[in-house]
Amino acid sequence: MSTQVHAALDEGTVREISESLGEPEWLLETRLEALDALDDLAMPSVIRTPGREWTNLHDLDFEGFVDPLNAAENKDQVGPDEAEVLPFAEAVDEHEELLKEHFGSVVDPQDNYLTALSTALFSTGTVVYVPEGVDAEDVKIRTEMNSQSLFNYTLVVTEKSASVTILERQSTGEDVDGERYYSGIVEVAAGENSNVQYGSLQNVDEETYNYTLKRGHADTYATIDWIEGNIGSRLTKSSVETYLKGDSSESQIVGAFFGHGDQHFDVNARVWHEAEHTTADLVTRGALDDEARSVYEGVQDVGSDAWDTNSYQRENTLMLSDESEADASPKLIINNHDTEASHSATVGQVSDEDLFYMETRGTDPESAENMLVEGFFVPVLEEVAVDELRDDLTDLVAARLRE
Amino acid sequence: MATLELNNLHAEVAEEGVDEQILDGVDLEVKSGEIHALMGPNGSGKSTTAKVIAGHPAYEVTEGEVLLHLEDGDFGGAFEIPEDKRTWDLLDLEPNERAALGVFLGFQYPAEIEGVTMTNFLRTALNAKLEEREELFEDEDEHEEEEEEAGYDTSPMEGPADEGEVGVAEFQQILSEKMEQLDMDEKFAQRYLNAGFSGGEKKQNEVLQAAILEPEVAVLDEIDSGLDIDRLQDVSKGINALRDEQGTGILQITHYQRILDYVEPDHVHVMLDGKVAKSGGAELAEKLEDNGYDWVREEFYETA
Amino acid sequence: MSSEQDHLKETDTEKRFEFKKEESAAVTSGKGLTEEVVRMISDDKDEPEWMLERRLRSLKQYHEMPLPTDWPGQPDLTELDIEEIVPYIRPDVDKRSGADDWDDLPEDIQDTFEQLGIPEAERKALSGVGAQYESEVVYQNMQEQWEEKGVVFCNMDEAVREHPELVKEYFMTKCVPPSDNKFAALHGAVWSGGSFVYVPEDVTVEMPVQAYFRMNSEGMGQFEHTLIIAEEGSEVHYIEGCSAPKYGSHNLHSGGVEVFVGEDAHVQYSTVQNWSKNTYNLNTKRAICEKGGTMEWVSGSMGSKATMLYPSTILKGRGATDNHITIAFAGEGQDIDTGAKVYHNAPNTKSTIESKSIAKDGGRTNYRGLVHIADGAEGSSTSVECDALMFDNESTSDTMPYMEIQESKVDVAHEATVGKIGDEDVFYLQSRGLDDDDAKQMIVAGFIEPITEELPIEYAVELNRLIELEMEGSLG
Ligand SMILES: Nc1ncnc2c1ncn2[C@@H]1O[C@H](COP(=O)(O)OP(=O)(O)O)[C@@H](O)[C@H]1O
Ligand SMILES: [Mg+2]
Repeated sequence: MSTQVHAALDEGTVREISESLGEPEWLLETRLEALDALDDLAMPSVIRTPGREWTNLHDLDFEGFVDPLNAAENKDQVGPDEAEVLPFAEAVDEHEELLKEHFGSVVDPQDNYLTALSTALFSTGTVVYVPEGVDAEDVKIRTEMNSQSLFNYTLVVTEKSASVTILERQSTGEDVDGERYYSGIVEVAAGENSNVQYGSLQNVDEETYNYTLKRGHADTYATIDWIEGNIGSRLTKSSVETYLKGDSSESQIVGAFFGHGDQHFDVNARVWHEAEHTTADLVTRGALDDEARSVYEGVQDVGSDAWDTNSYQRENTLMLSDESEADASPKLIINNHDTEASHSATVGQVSDEDLFYMETRGTDPESAENMLVEGFFVPVLEEVAVDELRDDLTDLVAARLRE
Repeated sequence: MATLELNNLHAEVAEEGVDEQILDGVDLEVKSGEIHALMGPNGSGKSTTAKVIAGHPAYEVTEGEVLLHLEDGDFGGAFEIPEDKRTWDLLDLEPNERAALGVFLGFQYPAEIEGVTMTNFLRTALNAKLEEREELFEDEDEHEEEEEEAGYDTSPMEGPADEGEVGVAEFQQILSEKMEQLDMDEKFAQRYLNAGFSGGEKKQNEVLQAAILEPEVAVLDEIDSGLDIDRLQDVSKGINALRDEQGTGILQITHYQRILDYVEPDHVHVMLDGKVAKSGGAELAEKLEDNGYDWVREEFYETA
Repeated sequence: MSSEQDHLKETDTEKRFEFKKEESAAVTSGKGLTEEVVRMISDDKDEPEWMLERRLRSLKQYHEMPLPTDWPGQPDLTELDIEEIVPYIRPDVDKRSGADDWDDLPEDIQDTFEQLGIPEAERKALSGVGAQYESEVVYQNMQEQWEEKGVVFCNMDEAVREHPELVKEYFMTKCVPPSDNKFAALHGAVWSGGSFVYVPEDVTVEMPVQAYFRMNSEGMGQFEHTLIIAEEGSEVHYIEGCSAPKYGSHNLHSGGVEVFVGEDAHVQYSTVQNWSKNTYNLNTKRAICEKGGTMEWVSGSMGSKATMLYPSTILKGRGATDNHITIAFAGEGQDIDTGAKVYHNAPNTKSTIESKSIAKDGGRTNYRGLVHIADGAEGSSTSVECDALMFDNESTSDTMPYMEIQESKVDVAHEATVGKIGDEDVFYLQSRGLDDDDAKQMIVAGFIEPITEELPIEYAVELNRLIELEMEGSLG
């Protein structure tokens, strides 16, 4: 990564974006500080083993293909009347206090180089606010990227005993020459006893580099459930994370990916148990075809105050081609003995026995394999509580198999 | 002759924040050589009674007492029990100390412990019991810190440092005898403690342990559930042998009349809502089998 | 009770490791790592020029390489000051390269190994024994029947002189080159002592050979090198024991182990490590396994202040097999970071890794492991199982496996669990008469049973007793 800042990456650009969104001074300051910090920040962490780096972020010239002033998108932001689903500029107008309280409180803008870049340059975003006791289903945020790069920001705040289901999709519209970059940061502040389901389906084109960081803080008795589907992109570095900060809070992270061509997915699921009686369940399944490569890191971190913790993690990868590669590192960091924690990971291929069995029943080999791959995804799909997302994911898997 | 005595026993869940009273004044008395059946609907507090007797840390006794009265000669002729050490307040003692005094609990759901063979475990338990007993009855004045053995080892290629009172060979002998009595397969001796045992095998194993540890009073929690008829007969034989040969007093917790056909109780008690609501002879069990518990409930709450 | 058993009653494992002897050396290198020190070591050993050259090359690499600092959750090495370590101490013995009679040793050294039980073990259950005191092997003996079959079991210094062709070919060349890591480079510069084992084709050495390593002096470093060459169809079990008394300043143990497992050969390498809790134990152990060969690593890590040890196996030939069995027990002030590395570089290779760890009184255990299945290693399978037991809230138990799978026709499974000792299990045992401590000890012994059952009975017993001592917190 060159440390020299691209022409468009200067204070003027940042001021221009901030002004166009009508932002207050403090927000502009936050952006400028992030811009300033770029030179000192490291790339998001990637796994290294002797002689190998699992994902190479250093050779990507993010600054080169970033073109923040020409950001173009198609966006739908809809939700039921009881909840507020606002474009970022509107939120700045109507909910400055809310923003001031939560912006950057879950994801530190200077967490790493790419979060800082995103904070300095984001030009679009959504704020979802669910008042106390409100049950808001069917919030939808659809982002279609039509420019070289797009920096997107999402904030979800649920008050006490509120409940919300959010379905987010990223795709790319018009073709653009050359490589593209999508960056999305999602912050979720789940208030006491509230419930957030956040589903995300990424299907951008295969010229696009994708960086997303989704992180939630769960208060007492709150639940944050994430569903993370990755189908598109050339390279994805995605991290879905929950901090269980309140007693009896819970989180589930369900992930599915399907790589083909020379796609590279670096997906991470992480949970920090910081309070008592918390529960986490991390479930990821992925399939890899052609020369696709997956990197999975799962972290279950149990703090020393996290008495009575239950924490589970499962990851399974199916290799459909000899040229694919699957790397995995499921980690347990346990600092409180009052814990029941386990993880498991497997890598394998479609079983010849199963294939043979199906073929003896008259199925042709290809349909047999397709059925088995679809079957492989069923356990994660079953965990997806949002019908629409489950159906879409099922269709995308089916479509990829039949390409 | 030993007597286990429960007086007005009240107990609740020990965990903080859980405010659940389970035992609400249980009175019971079981003497050596007697067989008592404790019956009652699910959730009435039978298992809790058993676990409180054994000293389970999940429960806190809020009122009442659990006493064990011993007489000289109770631990076999040679063991002398001084006058002032004949009545024990079990609630002051650790679970293993209670075991050393001759209280045995047969679990409704025995723990499965991987990696520990039956033989190793039972011999360790038997020796621990004998040793603990010495300590409990040791005269405090005479009590002296045992001097640490001086010197050092000469070899890493040697057996366990301390064999204990009952040696390996002697124990093998005891174990195979008892296993044969219970019609148990010898291979159990080398298996890990309850690990992978079927429900019935576990129950049989509980009775085997009682036979080896020779308790004064054995509390057997649903020892008969999940047994087929053959195994039920073996288990019953084992329980009768405990009483007949060792004079053990039995408190048998059960749901079913069935086992009582083989192990005939001298007394039958019915537990309701954490209390003993009715006591009687063997005929009471038959009446319960025919008519259920409702009539006891009605009778009990009318008089109450 | 037999008189034999009476004698057993007098054992005291704790005292066995903790005694200290007056330091009496013939030659001491002095602190630090300079060319001068390296030349002095080589000179004192009367080494051929080529070995000196290798040492100097390693020294250069050592100075060029950085200390590993960026591993996630890596043990803290900041207190380790290599410049303060004395790398070479030759004890005052008459005969170089090891006496073959214990009685020929100076009394203090003889007494040390007597206390550690080595001569007794030799009589009962071993094919051969080597014993190293500080930097030098002081005793070396093997039963004649093996010598007659062409088995070589001698100390490494002697091997340099007596078997130069083999040593030249295999010593820190293809298996653990000095460039592997900083401690391997350090080792290459100042190595001293260790064992050389050569087993000819189709020879099965029936009883294990054992080497025992003892550090007695304060602030010293022990850098023994072990080279095992098992030719086609041969079989050998090598056992390594280690201990040191505890001092105020730090000791460093940085051994190097290279194992060559020939076609269809079978090597087992077992270690019960009980270094004192001021010792940094940073080793590089690696095996290369040819077609159809089997490598087994059995490691019990009980001692040391910090351990970083990941025995690795390169499955080079078709159908080669690796088994790893690891037990780690970390008590107060200990950081035991250990695991396994396996490279599947040929088809139909198999590996199984079983790890059990116990953390207590603020200790930390970490399983760190890597399984790499290379493209083309079809039909390979690996299974990793890590279980950890925690005693209290001050302790830490981490699990960090890494899997790199570049081949699709494989079977890869990894499973890990962490939990505390079950209250219900403790109660069950207590209700049968065991006190709280005995109940927990029994559960721990059961927890590691799948591993101890793989060890020769004597070592299983030894390991269990070390664990008992650890649980009483009485080992220094
Ligand atoms: N550890 C516990 N925590 C909470 N409730 C308990 C616990 N143990 C028992 N109870 C409750 O106490 C009641 C009596 O249980 P138990 O003694 O097992 O009944 P029984 O053996 O007669 O079926 C039940 O309602 C049960 O749910
Ligand atoms: Mg019950």
